Amino acid sequence: MADKAKKRPLVMKQKIMAQVVYALIPLVVASIYFFGWRSLAVLAVVNLAGFLSEYVFARVYKQQVSSAVFVTTTLFALSMPPTVPLWIAAVGIVFGVVFGKMVFGGFGRNIFNPALSGRAFVYVSFGYPLTSSFIEPVSGFPGGFARWLPELDSLTKATPLIRLSGGQDLPFMDLFLGSTSGSLGETSALLIIITGVILLILKTASYRIVLACFIGYLVPQTAFFFIGLSGVLHPFYGLFAGSLLFAFFYMATDPISSSQTTNKGRWVYGLLVGVLTSLIRTFSSWPEAVTFAILLANMFAPLLDYAFKQAAAKKKAAAT
Amino acid sequence: MNGPLFPLAVFFAAIFTSNILLTNFLGMCSFLSVSREIKTSAGLGTAVTFVMATTTVLNWLVYHYILLPLELDYLRFIVFIVVIAAFVQLVEMVIERVSEGLYAALGIFLPLITVNCAILGVSLFMVIRDYDLLSSFTFGLGSGLGWFLAIMAMAGIRQKLAKARVPKGLEGAGITLIITGMMALAFMGFSGMINIG
Repeated sequence: MADKAKKRPLVMKQKIMAQVVYALIPLVVASIYFFGWRSLAVLAVVNLAGFLSEYVFARVYKQQVSSAVFVTTTLFALSMPPTVPLWIAAVGIVFGVVFGKMVFGGFGRNIFNPALSGRAFVYVSFGYPLTSSFIEPVSGFPGGFARWLPELDSLTKATPLIRLSGGQDLPFMDLFLGSTSGSLGETSALLIIITGVILLILKTASYRIVLACFIGYLVPQTAFFFIGLSGVLHPFYGLFAGSLLFAFFYMATDPISSSQTTNKGRWVYGLLVGVLTSLIRTFSSWPEAVTFAILLANMFAPLLDYAFKQAAAKKKAAAT
Repeated sequence: MNGPLFPLAVFFAAIFTSNILLTNFLGMCSFLSVSREIKTSAGLGTAVTFVMATTTVLNWLVYHYILLPLELDYLRFIVFIVVIAAFVQLVEMVIERVSEGLYAALGIFLPLITVNCAILGVSLFMVIRDYDLLSSFTFGLGSGLGWFLAIMAMAGIRQKLAKARVPKGLEGAGITLIITGMMALAFMGFSGMINIG
């Protein structure tokens, strides 16, 4: 048993995935600062449940557990609201890992982003606890490091996203630094941008996808805003509210479920994510649109890859 | 909502918010069996779109000018099926005469459409929701395009799936149904955008 374990460590080492996990550490620390130690408990439960569900399948497949599963679990945990019941978080990640990834044969073979599959599943199934019990974060020193959870009388029914579309104003610095209510790891725009840009520089995430996402979001959103439709977010505020930045940097760029073979495919895929985000945010009944936008783009990514590969092959054939 | 833009709203709603396949789960049988290849999916998708748009209009005319005046609307199920089958037959004959190539490309799909429940479903929805002629046309066209979109996405995914290692018990229909479920989950994002009947 012991030397078997030596030959084959339980967890497969994947450099890129490890980089993403390291990049997420500042966000985890920030989530403890803003929302107390309970966020670490959410993270622990989600990691354990996600790891176990991958482990069960990996044993049957005679594979190793991929370190990608920890990216999935951490992303999922950070996208949960601070008061999320632990069992709902566990159900979500088990669904995400099993039906988003393991039924397709494990790492590298999934069609949809597993973290987002889990998130969409719990959002659709348990709407109330996930969308209506956000709390105001703790501020000042020592912040959440001395607390389990921010005081419950700061329970607010709305995230910045909901308040902004209700026409309220919010100080921009709050949105930027992250001292607003919201999901655990998604409130601090500053940290997400810094860690996200580091990932882009390391080429762990594709800058084409991220850039295309932003263009795809900003163009229609600005247009909607200036046409003067009611309830449209200011495009600039919208950028920093909700999970948009987090999802664009960390989830849209997932190398497996995104369009991955051609650069043109990456551009189109990113634009699709951005445009759908803007459309769904503005017109549908879900305040948080990025989740669905990315899943929809995942759904069409293989088709995009196919189309651009065919086109390239045709060009080659015409040239020779 | 009954303004001049209503047909347009119906059109987009039929593609996205109430996609005939991903929210009503109609037309699953051919969706599951034909989505294996992108080219054939495109062929079937086009054929379904065309037949859906035309038969909805035909059925609207039949329903409002023949069945209703004669108070025979309880016969609409049978009559709609007959209209669809007859129309498909006719189209097949015309295509065979006019374009050999297209006929060969569509092959078995044209006759298959006769029994596609989505087509009958669209005609029945049109009656239940009381659309006018123009809205029925946009509804049929939109539903067809929505179905086309869904089967193309599925064909792309299944192409990619060739690289996946799906467990034995889930191969074929099993994994396809799981993917359809995930697609439907993603399409829930559109819910609430446009409301039609």
